[in-house]
Amino acid sequence: MVDALREIHRVLAPGGILIDARPDSRVVARAERRAGHGFQRFGLVATNREELTNDRASDRAIAQVLREGLFKSRRRGRFWHLVPFESLGALRNYLWEHLRFVRRARWVVDEKTRRRHAGDRFVMRRAIRYEVLSAIKATVPSTARAASDPRMQ
Amino acid sequence: MDVGTRVPIVSSSLRPRPLDELRAWGGTRLIRGKRVLDVGCGDGRFAVGLAPLAASVQGLDPDPDAISAARRNAREAGIRNVRFEVGAAQQLPYADEAFDVVILSWAL
Repeated sequence: MVDALREIHRVLAPGGILIDARPDSRVVARAERRAGHGFQRFGLVATNREELTNDRASDRAIAQVLREGLFKSRRRGRFWHLVPFESLGALRNYLWEHLRFVRRARWVVDEKTRRRHAGDRFVMRRAIRYEVLSAIKATVPSTARAASDPRMQ
Repeated sequence: MDVGTRVPIVSSSLRPRPLDELRAWGGTRLIRGKRVLDVGCGDGRFAVGLAPLAASVQGLDPDPDAISAARRNAREAGIRNVRFEVGAAQQLPYADEAFDVVILSWAL
């Protein structure tokens, strides 16, 4: 990952920016029923362990290139993304097949309520994080650059 | 459209729409008139969505099937300033300082 970020730094023009956006595994996703104009929370959906490990590795890679002085963080934030489902069964199928999440939600409503609303429309509310980073390019005089370039020696 | 019988469960259509995501990051000014590289572009959903705003968009993905789908999607959308290539982020097949913006959308 760090190698990829160094490559990205290489292809960015001075003043160029890198935008890193991905699901925020630090925030638990929610399974919600559409209720009129609002939502009723039905369950919580955790990220699976392997994805958590990958996300932490991505965080470390970003931290590494910041430490190396290749990038500077300009802005970061989080927004919610709603994935719509036509029924509770469709949401369950999604969880079963989607590699990112654990396969079963932790329901916060009882089974009777789930059965009663099984045919209602649902959403999965997931947090997406983003960070805008600007590439830091050293302005090295061309003579100095030539002197430090092994291909020129 | 809701996921179920009409939208496949594994689909890039389940991700935020490109312009919605761009708005959350800070708005269209981030890419307007810029040379953009979308690393890990998959089926080109994001690259094709942003292309009308950018000067040019290059999409890169290690999966040849995804790149074929991306080219097809761009053709169907009538987008001409986007190109797709198979390749790895660890060895980008581009010249130094070739882009103004690089996007890692759900790719790192």
